[in-house]
Amino acid sequence: MTTATETLVGASADFLKRFSPFDQMEPEALDYLSERVLLGFFSKGATILSAEMGQPRHFYIIQRGKVQASQSGDVALTEYASMTLGPGECFPIGAISAGRPSTNTYMALEDSFCFQLPADDFMALMRISPVFHVFCTQYIASLLSQSRQQLQSTFSQRAAEQQTMTTPLGHLIKRDPIFVTPDTSTRSALEKMNEMRIGCMVVADADARPVGILTQSDLLSRIVLPAFDLNRPISDVMTPAPQVLQMTATAYDAALEMATHARRHLLVVDSDDKLRGVVSERDLFSLQRIGLRQIRASIEGADDIESLQHASRDIRQLALNLIAQGIGSEQLTRFISALNDALTRRIITLELGRHELFGVQFCWLAFGSEGRHEQTLSTDQDNGIIFSAPEGERDAIKQKLLAFAKDANDALAACGFPLCKGNIMASNPELCLTLEEWKRRFGAWIREPDPQALLNASIFFDFRVLFGSEKIGDQLRRWLLETARGNSTFLRMMAQNALAVAPPLGRFRDFVVEDDGMIDLKKSGARLFVDVARILSLRSGVEASSTVGRLRQSGQRANMAEEELDAITDGFHFIQLLRLRSQHLDTEHDAPGDNKIDPDTLNELDRRILKEAFRQARKLQLRLKLDYQL
Amino acid sequence: MTWLSRLIPGAHPPVQLAPEIRARLDAWRKLPETALTAQHTETRYVIVNTEASGLDLSKDRLLSVAAIAIEGGLIDPKLAFYQSLEPDPADALTGLLEFIGSSPIVVFNAGFNKRVILNAIERVLDVEPELHCIDLYWLLPALFAERGQSASKLTEWMNALRIETFQRHHALGDGYAIAQLFLATQARGRLLGHSTPQALIELEHARQRLKRPL
Repeated sequence: MTTATETLVGASADFLKRFSPFDQMEPEALDYLSERVLLGFFSKGATILSAEMGQPRHFYIIQRGKVQASQSGDVALTEYASMTLGPGECFPIGAISAGRPSTNTYMALEDSFCFQLPADDFMALMRISPVFHVFCTQYIASLLSQSRQQLQSTFSQRAAEQQTMTTPLGHLIKRDPIFVTPDTSTRSALEKMNEMRIGCMVVADADARPVGILTQSDLLSRIVLPAFDLNRPISDVMTPAPQVLQMTATAYDAALEMATHARRHLLVVDSDDKLRGVVSERDLFSLQRIGLRQIRASIEGADDIESLQHASRDIRQLALNLIAQGIGSEQLTRFISALNDALTRRIITLELGRHELFGVQFCWLAFGSEGRHEQTLSTDQDNGIIFSAPEGERDAIKQKLLAFAKDANDALAACGFPLCKGNIMASNPELCLTLEEWKRRFGAWIREPDPQALLNASIFFDFRVLFGSEKIGDQLRRWLLETARGNSTFLRMMAQNALAVAPPLGRFRDFVVEDDGMIDLKKSGARLFVDVARILSLRSGVEASSTVGRLRQSGQRANMAEEELDAITDGFHFIQLLRLRSQHLDTEHDAPGDNKIDPDTLNELDRRILKEAFRQARKLQLRLKLDYQL
Repeated sequence: MTWLSRLIPGAHPPVQLAPEIRARLDAWRKLPETALTAQHTETRYVIVNTEASGLDLSKDRLLSVAAIAIEGGLIDPKLAFYQSLEPDPADALTGLLEFIGSSPIVVFNAGFNKRVILNAIERVLDVEPELHCIDLYWLLPALFAERGQSASKLTEWMNALRIETFQRHHALGDGYAIAQLFLATQARGRLLGHSTPQALIELEHARQRLKRPL
């Protein structure tokens, strides 16, 4: 390098160092950048970059002046209509990393100088500078949240007049908290409830920290019928350790708590754990047409299949409303999962009433996506049973269980969970087994991992206890983790299997599509994450059964960077969101088009994010590939 | 001794050039002409700037030369030249000619800069290069009438167009400022229909005639 060049490069570096992220950048990366940036000029009013110019050839960093970014086309892709960029700010990050024309038009608002980095050098800089990579990844992640907002507006017409479920609980509290101390007599506490016309009484200590709760529905069973002495303190009759949520938690956090724990009231506390108010299911009803708790109540009160069928339809409608309110795929699938669990449990309970299984120890397992809490709206049933039986009674008990399971499977089918085509159902004698039999079965797959065994492992190892004895399930889980962990050949074969499908990223086009021009978001999208997560969890002994839980916990154990894990889980969530969205638009169960998406119908932003999501899958696969030298 | 010899310390006629310098100059002479009718984006321009011991042609000496090329309307730090005259004036000036090639050169205040350079080249190398020269001193007021009615000095133009550089009164530092002024000049020229080197040169000459006292 000549002295002249060194001087000019130094001047560029000095300028760049005044701005983020360049001030944080590794010295050699900053050198790389400063050596390669070219300085250009744009007169006021000149178009610097637009969609018509095609794939951007340069990445721009404004040196002096002002540049306006505005949306091109009719559809607003981001939250802003236009935005002004000044010195040190750069564009177009998304378009250049995806190698696509920019969705924004960039125009010089005044005479402006811009440093320009050729596109190839931009990609190289992403590779050599972790700081710059994180900067760009976070930028893409912010596009993701904008896309979520856009999704919200798409559905807003279908769910008009809905308030947002993301309202913080602090905003839902209507009046100052009412509470009594634990030594208050039950009589005066009840008088106060009556006087204030409230459905529950909170018991809190002298510092206003909640210690218990008494609700109207407790009165009959705890006070009236047992003829409880009303002079005794309320602490003798309250439910201790009540469910609390922080002021900053959102309405859907509260709704989820209520749905999961079948509560009607939740106490809201501040950061000091002091009571600030009570949120009731009624407060949340006003936020949504169909209440979670309402569905939950109708499920629990249902005495026949007809009412459960109704509840099942409500669950789908609710999911639609929640998407409209902009809830992310993670929360949404948890909702669906919580309600489907309740529905399944109710069906099992109803069927148990019709079958003589008293004293039989068993648990009902969910496999596959249901086991991972990742059900979408078109998931068929995958279930099984673990039971224990004294020697000699095994066969008789199994017959009874199978008859019961057959009815349960049919009832589930009637309520919108299609029968499993592969007969992965509890009524299949092969899947109604004792703990020892399950261990033998799992053990055989681990010892001899032929293709069928690997496929089985990918379904059955994601089990979760949905009804019955959690203890039996935990025993099987612990045994499985220990056994799989000690068998590196098996893990290696699983890894090989997981790598058999590559993300559909094209070398020349954006996406590699199937013959019908579609991408299968399940097979070549979500599954890429799910499969790797399963292996990581088996290897590191993580008990979580959800993909995100597995990735996070095993990633933390492997010292993966937080940002990296965020980027991976964002990618997974986005693919799940697209799946849910496409399922919503044609609500038929298990339709042939489910999980398939035509990338050409996606808007620019979604395409970009989808591409980034696939890149994250590729990164995850690469990690596995390196670990197992595949 | 003429005033010229004071500009170049230690240089005395007749010129004795090393064979290596001669060979480089021969190669430079053989370079093809640059067409002055190509668009700005197709033209390589070279900003040339000097640093002298003062502003008096009769007393002061040339200390260093700097040049920055502009290709495709962009400043690329790799295409830059800077050299002190000492200890080898012939090498420095030959290097400058090689860097310029046959490109049109851009200077600020040719009255001083261009003459200083040409004189030095003639004195040291015994060459009278025919360089196409664009002088921003005349061109800027013609293109940015509304911005710099009263501007004439480099500092004033830098302020008018809000241009900064890393070091003032240094051949390369000021050269970088002139290069940025020229990027603005190209863009403005294109807007006003002066989109080739030829057009800029003509505009500049017209401006000079206009300003010349009758």
